[in-house]
Amino acid sequence: MSATDKTEALLEWPAKYNEVPKAVFEMDELWPKELETIFYGAEWHPIVHRAEIPNPGDYKAAELGEMPIFAVHGEDGAIRVFQNTCTHRGTSLVTESAGNKKEFECPYHRWLFNLEGDLIGCPNSRDFTPGFNKDNFALPQLRTEEFYGLFFVTMSDKTPPLKEYLGESFYEPLSRILGGDGRLKLIGYQKVLYDCNWKAYCDNDGYHAPLLHKAFALLNWQGGKGTQIVTENGHLAFQSELKMSDQVNALKDASIIDFKGTSTSTGSLVLMSFPLTVFSKHMDMLNVRYAFPKGPKGIEVHYAYFSHQDDDEEMVKHRIRQSSNLLGPCGLISMEDAAIFSRIDKGNKTPGNASFQKGVKDEYQLDLQVGQNDESGNLPRWEHYRKRMGFRRASS
Amino acid sequence: MSDVAANVISSIENLNRNYICALDSLSMQAWLDCFSRRGTYTFIAEENERRGFPIAFMLDDCYERLQDRVTQVDEIQDDSTEHYTTRHFTQLTSIVPLGENTFHANYNFSIYYTQKDNNQTKILCVGRYQDIIAIDQETALFVQRKAVTDTNVLPRYIAYPV
Ligand code: FES
Ligand SMILES: [Fe+2]
Repeated sequence: MSATDKTEALLEWPAKYNEVPKAVFEMDELWPKELETIFYGAEWHPIVHRAEIPNPGDYKAAELGEMPIFAVHGEDGAIRVFQNTCTHRGTSLVTESAGNKKEFECPYHRWLFNLEGDLIGCPNSRDFTPGFNKDNFALPQLRTEEFYGLFFVTMSDKTPPLKEYLGESFYEPLSRILGGDGRLKLIGYQKVLYDCNWKAYCDNDGYHAPLLHKAFALLNWQGGKGTQIVTENGHLAFQSELKMSDQVNALKDASIIDFKGTSTSTGSLVLMSFPLTVFSKHMDMLNVRYAFPKGPKGIEVHYAYFSHQDDDEEMVKHRIRQSSNLLGPCGLISMEDAAIFSRIDKGNKTPGNASFQKGVKDEYQLDLQVGQNDESGNLPRWEHYRKRMGFRRASS
Repeated sequence: MSDVAANVISSIENLNRNYICALDSLSMQAWLDCFSRRGTYTFIAEENERRGFPIAFMLDDCYERLQDRVTQVDEIQDDSTEHYTTRHFTQLTSIVPLGENTFHANYNFSIYYTQKDNNQTKILCVGRYQDIIAIDQETALFVQRKAVTDTNVLPRYIAYPV
């Protein structure tokens, strides 16, 4: 039996498309296969926006699956993503989460790499192997593609071109979250570890029923008209009208929920790209949630917030106040989401299946037509996951 | 700190004690009472602070926001949150007079939390308070309390001010 056959045998998927076995959140044995087929497979993963590393020499460390990587802004203006490892004996090259360097020197035997990843110096190389050639020891670079300043990476050369992979229903709203032209400025991060399996996170962050949000009722928010579009490869795009009430009695300072932007017709955008990245624009908050699973248990989420380069001072201040108080691990709105991630994870240590109901018309068919508030929007992602993992669906 | 009068130190220490006792007993009104009418509260990651990024975990930049923080904790987030109790440990590290009965004070803090559903105790975050404190008669109030956390990645979502 190959490793693949073994994983397939671990779990049989229910016959009904609206059911997900709770065990999928709890089985540590699935992680190696998830790494292989999803994190190192034919999927794109967003890693950095140009606004986070705007100057030559700026770098940002990240992880893809369990692999440490870092993105660097080169002398030539290009952004490259490298494996975070010296090509000599493998020492990690950057140790801070972000910074600026003129070059990357490995402390062990002083090999020196430039911002473009070339090996430009290695002491005592006349004693090296006879055929030693610096050109063969550049930093291993990941395949990248850029969309409005946001850089995605993939380990596979089979992953389709980024725009094709995302599809227009996804990349069009994404361009709006990225400021319409990608000319963003980083205003800061919020980072947190959620105590759950990464799939419990992505199944419940992003878009979900507003019933959870007591804050919405208190703030007198009604959901506006909207759409939810899902793709066969598991991406989800939710857009809705922003309907603000002028009467908010629950808050003494209602300016925190002002909308200063222009178009209320698509005031709220929440996107999730497979497997687990959420992008959102609520009111005036532009937010990318880079998510890093810590093995089968625990997921670190880095909420990155942006302003636009053309914002005036007042708008920047407003975005800062709003982003710092409404979203993230302490935010008025999203803390309720955070509570659900770990409570779902706890509850899933029970036998049986999680059952999706709202919007499911036929349990035995996958439906890409989903309404605005339907939880069935999660099901194409689960189906894509099931196929990637090679789990057999039970016959009905 | 040797040039700071003993009654100033004791006023500031009383204020800090009221503050941490308010949070450890989760009495949000008592927390609010620690702030002056001009008061602000910020809870921010050290990484953002050091790199000049203004995004905070909590940013109450006027008294109305402080009042809304009380509403948020007491009324809005009650039923979904996994509640926990805290113990705040603080150490005064400096007081610098700014004139007109106003002082800049620094504290180190470490905060433990005990989650109610499993009764386990862990560290919530560790960092420093950067305060601006106004003293009227013997009573001190925060004009600014800024909690800068060295724990850049929070171990869970944080439901109450620190
Ligand atoms: S391991 Fe990096 S120089 Fe030897
Ligand atoms: Fe939510």
